[in-house]
Order: sequence, then C-alpha cells, then structure tokens
Amino acid sequence: MLVMTSRQILIRDLLVLLAFTGWALALPAYASEFVSSMALTCLMYVALSSSWGLFCGSTRYLSLATSAFFGIGAYTSAMLLGEFAWLTVILIGAGIAVMVAILMGAAVLHLRGTYFAVLTFGMTELILHAVTYFEKSVTGTVGRVLMVVPERETIYLTVLALAVLAVAVSIVVRRTRFGLALLAIGADEQRAQTLGVNTRLVKVAGFALTAAFAGAVGAAMAVRWTYIDPHTVFNPFIGFQTVLITLIGGVLTLWGPLLAAIIFSVLAESLRLQFPQIYLMSLGLLLILCVLYLPGGLASLRWATFKGWWTDCREWVRDLKRDLSGEKEREKQRALKRARENYFV
Amino acid sequence: MAPAQVQQSKRTLIKGAAAVVGAATFAPQLMAQNAPVRIGYTMARTGPWTGGAQTSQEPNYLLWAEQQNAAGGLDVKGTRRKIELVSSDDQSNVETVVRTYEKLMGSDKVDLVLPPWGSGANFAVAPLANRYGYPFLAPTALSKKLVDLKLPYFFLLLQQPASMIGALVDLLKSQGVKTAAVIYVDDLFGLENYAALKEAVKGSGIRLVEEKSYPGSTQDLSPVLRAIKDKNPDAFIGFSYPPDTILASKQSKEVGFNPKFYYASVGTAFPLYTKVMTVAGAEGVMGMGSWNTKTSPGAKAYFDAHVASQKKEPDRWASGAAWAGLEILTNAVKSVGLDRKAIRDFVANNTHQTILGEIKFNGSENVGTPGTVGQWQKGEFEVVWPPARATAKLITKPKW
Repeated sequence: MLVMTSRQILIRDLLVLLAFTGWALALPAYASEFVSSMALTCLMYVALSSSWGLFCGSTRYLSLATSAFFGIGAYTSAMLLGEFAWLTVILIGAGIAVMVAILMGAAVLHLRGTYFAVLTFGMTELILHAVTYFEKSVTGTVGRVLMVVPERETIYLTVLALAVLAVAVSIVVRRTRFGLALLAIGADEQRAQTLGVNTRLVKVAGFALTAAFAGAVGAAMAVRWTYIDPHTVFNPFIGFQTVLITLIGGVLTLWGPLLAAIIFSVLAESLRLQFPQIYLMSLGLLLILCVLYLPGGLASLRWATFKGWWTDCREWVRDLKRDLSGEKEREKQRALKRARENYFV
Repeated sequence: MAPAQVQQSKRTLIKGAAAVVGAATFAPQLMAQNAPVRIGYTMARTGPWTGGAQTSQEPNYLLWAEQQNAAGGLDVKGTRRKIELVSSDDQSNVETVVRTYEKLMGSDKVDLVLPPWGSGANFAVAPLANRYGYPFLAPTALSKKLVDLKLPYFFLLLQQPASMIGALVDLLKSQGVKTAAVIYVDDLFGLENYAALKEAVKGSGIRLVEEKSYPGSTQDLSPVLRAIKDKNPDAFIGFSYPPDTILASKQSKEVGFNPKFYYASVGTAFPLYTKVMTVAGAEGVMGMGSWNTKTSPGAKAYFDAHVASQKKEPDRWASGAAWAGLEILTNAVKSVGLDRKAIRDFVANNTHQTILGEIKFNGSENVGTPGTVGQWQKGEFEVVWPPARATAKLITKPKW
C-alpha cells in the first residue's frame, strides 16, 4: 500500500480544495439560478461545519452555539450594512462573534460534555432575548429591513471564499502545534495539561476561531432575508444542522463535513419537493445509522467497510437460513445427545 | 380520368396543402392558447407556520384552481386556459422561500406567482417580486414597514394596524370603557399594533393600566394575567399569535379574569378557537376579523364552496383576504391577459369588487375596506364594528 508523507498529503488536500473551488466558481456560469442558490446554502454549511469540526471535532467539546454566532453576524450586517462596505461588515460580524466567543468561552469552557452543550445552547437563547430587549428598548421596534443589498454574485463569492478559507484553515491547523494541542485536549485533557499545554488558552482560541467563521457566514447570509428579526437569525436549527452534518460526515476528518454538506443540501432539496414530511425523519434515521454502523462518519467509508458489511450480512443470512431450516435446532439436539452419551461414558 | 376531374383533385390537393400550411402557421399559437397557465408558490406544509398557512392560505389557492379549471380554465382575455399550480413546501424557512421564488420567477419563469405565508416570508420575497416584475397580492402580511418599502408590485390585502386598532378603540370608546390592559408579543406584529394602540388611545379617555410584552415562545402567561386581574380593567387587549391567543384565553379562565371586553389577535377568527375553547367558552371573545357569510352573497358562496371542497371552514379574517386577492387577480387576467406589468397597473389603478367589499390600493396598502372588530356569538364570528359593516350587535362578554 502506498504511504504518503505528510507533505504529500498536504499537497493532495490543497489540490482537492483547489478543484472544489474551481468547480464552485464555475457553477453559477452554467447552472440555473436555482442550482446556484442551492449551492450557496451548501457552501454556507461547508463553512459552518468545517469550522465547527475544527474545534469541536478535535477537542470533543460539543458546542451548540453556532446559531448564536451566526445570528450575531447576521444582526451586525443588518445594522451596519448601510454605513460600511460589504467586506468591512463581514469582518466586523466575525469580530463581534469572536469577542462574544472569548467571553463565553472563558465562562463555560471548563465544563465538559452535556453541561457544555446545554450551556452553549442556553447562551444562544440568552443572546436572542438580549437582542430583542435591546431592540425594543433602544430602537423601539424588533426587526430590521435590509434594502441596500449587494449583488447575488457578490454574496455567492463571499460565502465561497469563507467556505474555502474554512477548509484551508482546517488543513493548515492540523499541521501546527495549535492543532495538535486541540487534538491532545480531545484525547486526554489532563495529560495535555501535564505535558505543558495551556489548555485554557488553546480552547478559548479554538472556540473563537469557530465563532469567527460562523459570524462571518451569518453576516454574509443575512442579506438573503430582507427582513431580519431575532427569531429568524438565532434559529437553533442552523446550529443543530451544522452538528448533524459534521457528525454524519465525520467529525475528525477533513473532507467529511464538506461531503456531508453537499449530500445534505441535495437530499434536503429533493425531499422537500417530493416528500415534505419525510425530510426530518430521514435526517434522524441517517444519524442513527451513522452512529450505529459508521461512527467515523461518511468520510471514514473505505472499501474495507463495505466488505465488512458484506461479510456481516452473509454471515447473518447464513445464520438465519440455518435457523429457519431447523438445522440449528438439530445441531443443538445432536450436541445435547452427544453430551448425554458422553455423560455415561 | 376526365380532365375536369384531374383539375378537381388538383384543386383539392392545393386546398389541402394550403390548409396544412395555414394550420402549421397558426398551430403554435393555438397550442399556446391551450397551454396551461403556470402559477407558482411555496407554502408551509411542515414547521411552525403550518397551522396558519393551512387554515388561511393554501386551501384558497387549491379551491381557486379547482373552480377555475372546472369552468374550463382561467379566463385570459377571453381565452380559457387551465391553471397548473407549481407548489412546494418551504418548511417554514425564510431562506427556502427566497430560494424557491428565485427559481419560480428566474428559472422556471412561471406565468404568475402567489404569495407565501406570513409577514416575514413576504418581507423576504417583496423586493424579489419587484426585481422580476411579478405582482404579489399578499393576504397574510401585516406591517407598516412593508408598506413603507413602497414596492410597486406588492399589495397588502389585510388592514394595517392603524385602521384595525382605530376600529377597536372606537368600539371601546362607544361602550364607555375607561381602563384597559394590553399584552403584546415582542416581535414586529406585537410592537406595531401596540404602537398603533398607544397612538389611538391618546385623548380617547381610555387609560392603559398595564402594558406588558412577552416572548413569542412563552408557555405561561398566568403571572401577567393575575397582575392584570388585580387592576380590574374594563377591557383586555392581547396582540398575540394562535398559540398564545389560546394560552391567554385558557389561563384567563383559570385565574378567573373576567373583563367586560376581551380582545385577542391572530387565531381568534380561526375555527380552531371555538374547537379548543368550545362554542360557549368563546362566547363574547373579540378579535381581529373582517368578514363572515353575512358580509356579502359572494362571501356565502365562497364559504360553502370552501367547506364542500376543502372539508374545513375558512377563518373569518385572512381567508377572506386571500380569496379577495384571488378575485382581483382573476379579474385582472380577464381584462389585461398575462402581461404582468399590465396586471400590476390594473390592480393599482382600479377599485375592485370582492367578497369583502370594495378594495382599492394606496401604494401597497388596502384602503378600501375599513378596520373591523369581530366577536364570537353562538359559534359564529360576527363583525361588530364599525356599525356600517356589522353583521350583529355587540354583546357584553359573559363570564368564562
């Protein structure tokens, strides 16, 4: 078997990314408007889930705060779009999300597991109601109308750039001390600490990095709504979907989230048009199947996995056949008889 | 064969050939005339908007297409063409709504579109409608801000907060109400209506003894209702959505809060309300509403057709607006065909006869029908204000 060096893998990953980028760049030119707008959603989830996996995958901290950062970005863009340039707005969106993430991280990142997940979710609610309260008491109304929005092409290119950046950052971070520290925290936090990793700093930095992407994506996507109110942009479903996509794709892998984001978007769209009720059910089913039979996610699928399933299946069918034909029962009887005979010997 | 006969058959041949050429020339046009009119929309069939969308909006679209097709098709400037509805579920998701309307108007190039459910979704598609030049007659969008956008292709059929709340305050004034308590959901709908109320009670002699907002996802309103009960106002006003409308009604009953006038908003006009509260329990409850079967002969016909075809009753507020919008659209297409600019001009510049009465637009706003107040009386949601449109006399609410 061919074994690649780390450098070769890096080059391979970058080439694959380049190919994806080229494809996504060319898409609006030949595809219909509908397909390009679907691709936009797809790219949004690529950016969200890749950056989510970067922190949560390697450290195993399950964060449900994606929708909080997304919403912060969206609100920033709704408030500032008239006054600043497009790219500035996106940067500010990312910046505010980072600041909130640092505060939030400092407060809750010492908690693990369920507590962390629940608290990040609670934080989202807190921010939602804080924004509502702020709007009500300061501006006197909830909800903002965005009239001056950039061209569709600009939005597409921005989200594409964010998605590419998210994957590129994942590729690079894996090869740095910082990435290794994140992985070490996931494997055994105490040991990492003993070995001299400043876990607190690393965790907050990783969390902030994830938040930066979610904030930027939120700021870029907000203009698709025209009318923004807290309940739309702090929609927990965006956070859940990101987690699901990453889990199904494979948390620890580089290409899993990207692959799953594409599959998800296509699946969601076709199911929505054909069988609207089935979408959520199939999502749940997919997750259960993944957890049971493919814990590493879609990206961990190898030829051997299929072969393994095939052998398992054959084994099971053979067993069932023997059971149904009564062969198993007879065998049992024979064994019993033999045992009885032996007893008297 | 005699020469004459040869001549004859030759002539027949030429005639036949001419007919074929003629047919070939006109056939595409004839075919186009018979091709169905494609009308696209998205509707919430799953997710939080489903209840409202499937009560007030989609049944009307289906009924309309069914009726028009039964009559041979939609009358396009004198030619009947079948309606083909191109619809999909939007999962109560604004992003999906935007994406799908972009597809319908940009790629599929459907002949006409019908609006999606709710103010939020309509906000999102309104600028799109303008860009692609598709007239939108929205039955379930309610916001002054939407009017302020001044989009030429966008028309709102529901009465806006100022006229709706103006009617309510006039009614309360006429009944000698001195004190009122208001609760409102803290989103655009609640806030705009609350602002309209503050404006309307100025100088009316009505004092607001309690003003409280609550988050839309609230599960318990009883503390607020208890506090209001202690202040014993003459009237209770709630700017609420169906779940909280029903929650507030149930909990008012529980805590024994019995004001003389009880007003709630979205959901009171739904058949669901009497189903949950029972006919006796709903007696005397007021809400936003604009019509019932007594409003006009057309309204009665519409109601009966709706029940017969969709196996459920329409609500007494936005359903009427949805149907009125479809009536206007039908007339526009009959007069000017499928040219969308012409349809827009027709809608904007005419006074329209509908089941709700005369509708006309000032910009995007319907200024033809006045704001109204409805009240449940013996299982029917009667229009009780303004007197000119009333279908029954106002009653004082009995105790829960």
